[in-house]
Amino acid sequence: MGNLLEHMGIERDRIHFSWISSAEATKFVDVVKEISNKVRALGPNKKLVKDYN
Amino acid sequence: MNDNNIKIVSFLCNWCSYGAADLAGVSRMEYPADIRVIRIPCSGRMSPKFILSAFREGADAVWVSG
Amino acid sequence: MDTCIQKIREIAFQLLDKKEVERVIGFSNGTIPMATSPITIASKQDTEKLVFNSTCGLNLANYIRQQKGKIAVIAKGCDSRNIVTHIIENQVKRDQIYIIGVPCKGMINKSKIKALFEDDILKFDEDGDTLTVESSSKKETLSKKEYLRDNCRLCQHKNPVIYDILAGDPVKEQVLDVPYPDVEKIAALDADARWIHFQELTKNCIRCYACRNACPLCYCPTCFVDESGPQWVGKGQDKTDVNTFHFLRAFHCAGRCTDCGACVEACPMDINVRDFTRKLNKDAFDMFGWEAGLDQTKRPPLDAYSPDDPNDFIK
Repeated sequence: MGNLLEHMGIERDRIHFSWISSAEATKFVDVVKEISNKVRALGPNKKLVKDYN
Repeated sequence: MNDNNIKIVSFLCNWCSYGAADLAGVSRMEYPADIRVIRIPCSGRMSPKFILSAFREGADAVWVSG
Repeated sequence: MDTCIQKIREIAFQLLDKKEVERVIGFSNGTIPMATSPITIASKQDTEKLVFNSTCGLNLANYIRQQKGKIAVIAKGCDSRNIVTHIIENQVKRDQIYIIGVPCKGMINKSKIKALFEDDILKFDEDGDTLTVESSSKKETLSKKEYLRDNCRLCQHKNPVIYDILAGDPVKEQVLDVPYPDVEKIAALDADARWIHFQELTKNCIRCYACRNACPLCYCPTCFVDESGPQWVGKGQDKTDVNTFHFLRAFHCAGRCTDCGACVEACPMDINVRDFTRKLNKDAFDMFGWEAGLDQTKRPPLDAYSPDDPNDFIK
């Protein structure tokens, strides 16, 4: 899925998959921080967004 | 929308990551407030439609976690 | 290919005569030149209607589902791989179909030929590798090799992988060093350029769903674009909706597409829908060493779990 989105021109860092156990609160926090940083670096998404106006 | 206000739509499995998020909450851990959590009953409930729907409605990123 | 059709007619005649099958699915001449259309034949007198030439680009594997009784179907290399996929996916039983395999020398790109003429094409003839095309104003003699469809150019499975009888001698398979040059060309662009490429590609889409209907893989009773509660995709020509449709349709074909080119063949706007599916074919090949429809006994990669599955994308 990520590969095809990337092929279409959606940046790779806009889609994330992870595996976190319910006991791994620290990993959860780390992953959120990592994803957040990556997406902030990319800025807002303009592609594939439906314009309802 | 400015760069500091991003939305990451997060699909979290009820039994795994949602539990982790809950634990992070009760443990008072701090994490960025960019994620919008959607609880799914199991990661198996996930569908590519959800990801595309999220992007269509203006998500900046999608995160699927089991 | 003229000898081939004699053989096909003969086989069809025999099958219907001995009542081994109830119907034969094949191609017949359409109402205009170069437009062959699928036909179902139930009586042996009608076998003369069958044709097979380089314009039979549609995929007959699309019509073998939910048929009653035993049927015979004419299958090119790619069609036969789709039949295998159908058998794997329990859409049809092997003993219910009689496969007349046709070693395929490639189908022609009709729009490329039409582009040579300003007026309507009135006559199309084929003799070996030479095509003779005529309109009211001019007559062109073309070499078939130069007017092959893109997918036929890159085809590595011209001979049927599964058949009950062959209607011709097997042709030599080509082996390509770079099987996915088109995908690599797009992959070499940067993200924004790729996005623009796909925007340009789909901008003419009229959402007629001809690609979906021509595709033998698209057999869901209710397609996701037709679902209304919830409605995942808008019905109009909004570019996001168009992209979502093509993206998801391609994704549903992941690990199943045999690159038969029926989607492109059916598209009235000449959109190269294969740009989406080819990427997934390449991924299936790179990650799982999988090409769809080659082996009846193997499960497709996306429906089986193996501890060796690539999982680098998961954190």
